Amino acid sequence: MVAIGSTAPRASGGDILARARARAALLPDLLVEAQRIANIITPGWHGRKRRGIGEEFWQYRPYSAGETVARIDWRRSARDEHVYVRDLEWQAAHTVWLWADPSPSMLFQSQLATVSKESRGLVIVLALAEILSRSGERIAYPQVFAPTSSRHGAERLAASLYSVEALEPLPNLSAIGRHSECVYVSDFLDPVEDIIEKLEPMASRAVRVHMVEVTDPSEENFPYFGRTEFVDPETGTKLTAGRADTLAAEYTLLYKARREELTRYAKSRGWSYVTTKTDGLASAALVQLFSSLSAGAQN
Amino acid sequence: MIAFATPMVLAAFVVLPAIWWLLRLTPPRPVTEVFPPLKILAKLIRKDETPAKSPWWLTLLRLALASLLILALAKPVLNPQADALTGDGPQALLIDNSWISASDWDSRLATARSIIEAASDRGAPVYMAYSAMAENTDVGPFDTETALENLSASAPQPVPGNRNLALQRIVTALGETSGVSLALLTDGVKTEGLAASDLSAPQGLFSTVALYTPADRTALALISSINGAESLDVTAARDPSRVGVETFTLSAFDSRSRPIGTAALEFASGEVTAVAKFQLPFELRNDIATVSIDGVATAGAIQLYDAGSGRRRVGLIAASNNDSAQPLLAPLYYIREALTPFADLVEPEGESLDSVITTVLEDRPSVLILADVGVISAQTRTKLLDWITKGGALIRFAGPRLAAAEPVTDDPLLPVALRTGERDLDGVLSWGEPQPVAAFPETGPFFGLAAPREVTVRRQVLADPTLNKPERTWASLADGTPLVTGTRLERGVVALFHVSPDATWSNLPISGTFVEMLRRVVQLASTSPSENKTAATALPPLRTLNTDGRLIQPPATAEPMEANSQISFQHPPGLYGVSEAFTAHNLFSAQTRFSPFELGADWQNVTRAAYITAEERDLRGPLFGIALALIALDAIAVLWMAGAFSQVRRRMVSAAAIILAALIMMPVGDVQAQENPAAEVSEADAIDAISRTRMAYVETGNAAIDEVTKAGIEGLNMFIASRTALEPGAPKAIDPSADELAFYPVIYWPIDPDAAMPSPEALSNIDTYMKNGGTVLFDTRDELLSGFDASSASPATLRLRDMLAGMNVPALEPVPADHVLTKAFFILEDFPGRYRGGPLWVEANAKAETDPARPVRALDGVTPIMITGNDLAAAWAADEFGEPLYATVPNDPDQRLYAYRAGVNVMMYVLTGNYKSDQVHVPALLERLGQ
Repeated sequence: MVAIGSTAPRASGGDILARARARAALLPDLLVEAQRIANIITPGWHGRKRRGIGEEFWQYRPYSAGETVARIDWRRSARDEHVYVRDLEWQAAHTVWLWADPSPSMLFQSQLATVSKESRGLVIVLALAEILSRSGERIAYPQVFAPTSSRHGAERLAASLYSVEALEPLPNLSAIGRHSECVYVSDFLDPVEDIIEKLEPMASRAVRVHMVEVTDPSEENFPYFGRTEFVDPETGTKLTAGRADTLAAEYTLLYKARREELTRYAKSRGWSYVTTKTDGLASAALVQLFSSLSAGAQN
Repeated sequence: MIAFATPMVLAAFVVLPAIWWLLRLTPPRPVTEVFPPLKILAKLIRKDETPAKSPWWLTLLRLALASLLILALAKPVLNPQADALTGDGPQALLIDNSWISASDWDSRLATARSIIEAASDRGAPVYMAYSAMAENTDVGPFDTETALENLSASAPQPVPGNRNLALQRIVTALGETSGVSLALLTDGVKTEGLAASDLSAPQGLFSTVALYTPADRTALALISSINGAESLDVTAARDPSRVGVETFTLSAFDSRSRPIGTAALEFASGEVTAVAKFQLPFELRNDIATVSIDGVATAGAIQLYDAGSGRRRVGLIAASNNDSAQPLLAPLYYIREALTPFADLVEPEGESLDSVITTVLEDRPSVLILADVGVISAQTRTKLLDWITKGGALIRFAGPRLAAAEPVTDDPLLPVALRTGERDLDGVLSWGEPQPVAAFPETGPFFGLAAPREVTVRRQVLADPTLNKPERTWASLADGTPLVTGTRLERGVVALFHVSPDATWSNLPISGTFVEMLRRVVQLASTSPSENKTAATALPPLRTLNTDGRLIQPPATAEPMEANSQISFQHPPGLYGVSEAFTAHNLFSAQTRFSPFELGADWQNVTRAAYITAEERDLRGPLFGIALALIALDAIAVLWMAGAFSQVRRRMVSAAAIILAALIMMPVGDVQAQENPAAEVSEADAIDAISRTRMAYVETGNAAIDEVTKAGIEGLNMFIASRTALEPGAPKAIDPSADELAFYPVIYWPIDPDAAMPSPEALSNIDTYMKNGGTVLFDTRDELLSGFDASSASPATLRLRDMLAGMNVPALEPVPADHVLTKAFFILEDFPGRYRGGPLWVEANAKAETDPARPVRALDGVTPIMITGNDLAAAWAADEFGEPLYATVPNDPDQRLYAYRAGVNVMMYVLTGNYKSDQVHVPALLERLGQ
């Protein structure tokens, strides 16, 4: 008898990007435009388009007396007779950080699903990157991709992801600045306490986290029958069920309870929690996610 | 009975309990599933779950499987054959493959095979000989493989076996070898009359002899047949072991295997021979080519006939020349007439009697008839005598010449000595009365024939009573004087009719009895009195019998049959010669009898054995097969326990429901499909077509004609709408091969000779339409072209004829003056279109008596067909303003009006039928109502 679930190979960057593009294209441009207008009038979400404290170069301007000498850009000043100061764009550090869980459990794909969870997660991340880049937002990916504002943000992100050999299962989230937005795509199958423990520092730094749970239909419906040996893809632990079908009801209850607990936690922090199933379309989750992103921005 | 070749393996049954214990402990293997949310699942599953036990029935299944495997490995054998031979020297086999062995040949083969295999086990060489085999066949020694090959190549032969010869060859091949075991696989039948049937023992050569005889001996053969005067008598012989009453049916066939007749063959209890009689007309009997026993397919159960067994060649010689001017007085006339149906007559021409007789004898006749021949020269006499002793039949008739001839003392060519002169019973100088014929004596060949009362003899030659032998009198007159005398002369016959062959001495030759008497006498003659004719030449085999008793192309081993050849392997029974003249050689002769075959007292160390009837069967195959099936069953059970089918089951249930529903729906769909077999008409189209009454027209494909037709019908529609209560819908162009025609009351079909011939479907649809009450108006539009010459036909008319040839068209007539069409709306005398003068043809009324009292013929139904040549549509055609498009010929506005009226009448006629013919009575009805 053929097993229902299997471990899919890791998704390739180009393929994922193409699919992400397609998903992103499904989002109406008007919606994106509307969000952009909303974002301009909203502080804290967008680059301010004027000089100030930030991370991006903004302009060179002549040095005026009284300014601290440390800010003089000597390389530029050496080209002519004037002394220039390098201005940076004033940023409120409101970058959208994207993160897709690279753990082995994400590679799972059952017969009921069209894609693996990892593939779905990357599609969502890249689609988001595409939309955000198109509307001139800055995107970042911990350990992989520094905050960048570029028309081709999604492509560059995909290229970066492609070149990375292996990602750490738990990202170093300390790089995420205060008041940033963070999109965290995972299956959230670790114990709820562990997840909360990992996310709690973000809450303390006023980062808004948008949790996207990618789930396989077989994980949710538990379509297993008969004598079945279950293997954890991460730890390799094995469990044997004599009559798997008898466990379905109880399991489903526990599975749903975990999701509700996480949703409750997200709500309590003012975050959002979006679920996408790999047998459905990514677009639905994307729209939901985008609306929660913009809702947060308007607050 | 079952035995095991390796019973030691059965000891393995002791391990069954161990298998049972193991099976009970080992649960079925689980399905491995990758499952990321294992941590959640872990809360539900206790880790130390005890392994599931196999259910009892699965254990039972597997134990049965193990038992079967053990049994199969022990090589079980059904019907094991015990060896009858215990010797350890070389093995010799003498196998009967005679004509009778075909029925149980398989058991003989099986026995021989087991003997050869036994010899192979002890490493002994094998000698094999068949009782019917070619002389140069190798008899051994063979190794096992060659012996088995030899055995499979052997086949029963349609000949009696020669056991002695076969045994002799084995002995020769054995040479000095001793200690040989001999197996005699006989058919158990000794055929008497064949010397080769007995078997003499070679001394001291064989250490053991096993005699195999079949349990039931089935020998049954047709041994001889005699084509008698009344019937064909076929004699059959059977084996003496068959003692009861047995009844068979014999069938006779002609040379083309057409059945001619059947006869019952009944063996009385205890009898070994029986005779079946084919009571058939002589002519039919002559056609018989084979007689066989129904349901017995052996070479012995068939009797072959050649041409000689039927018709005989008869030479006719008269001393006086044939007087062709007065045939009824010719001496041979009545003989010729009597013999022609069943004999080949030879009437040589010649100068002298001697030369004539010599010529005739060269033709080898069976019978020679000498009519009134008195003197025969000594030389010819010798020839005749020689011929008679070889089987010829000489039949002589008396007459003036014989009566006047000087008697030869002790003449062998006459059965009795004759007195000179004849006896006149009816002359003017005699006192005697013409004598009738007395009843035929039992000793003569005529016994059984009724003595002809009407025959009287007026003259005869008299036998010398002193020398007369009464037994030679075959027929006599009422006063005791012989009428026919005859005697056998070695193989031949000499007979004398004491009257002349013509009607002058008696009226015997013109009686029916004469025919019968001649026939019987001719039958006395042997068919081929001159055997020595073929002695010199060997006849090649033409068709030979095979073992099943069918005539086949001769096998390569068949050799030409010499005169003294016996039926043997080289000379199988059959037809020899060329296809025009062949001789039949049957398997047996009349002396053949069957008796049980026994070895003589000189045979020692003889054991009797029986053939293997049931084949030894190795049971390993079936057992392994069952075990394999159990393995498959076990696999299915394991899969089922693992839950493989629980998902499939749901799908299957739904799929089954769908299939069931489809099955239920299907007949309904079929019925619906059958109800409207014509083209699929969508509901909307159908409603659209019948919501308005409209005229349809057939598109010819020629745009000009189609436009005229459409415009014409539209113009007619305008006219109809303005003059009548009918408002027809727009004309509909149809394709008769594809469209549903039932919606239209009338179809206008302009014939275009240039267009392609309508398809058979189109014609068939139109035919159906006409049959179902529709009307088709054919318009050949050729009135202008025709009419000058009644015999000529325009292309359009020819095309219409071609089309109508494929339909059921009723008889037609031009519209008679009292037809309803002339009164359906307008009163019309003719039906003009663009042209005038062409008749409108309609279905002819069978009851066309014209009743002057009735102005209109009462017709049931509407004519299915109307044919005109007046080009109606062109006259009707009008543009949107109502202006006519085509001028009428001649240009007469009235003609157009009448054309419209004709169209109205046609439309009204097809819609109302014979309504108008009843309407004419309205004045009379009103008148009656008024009273």
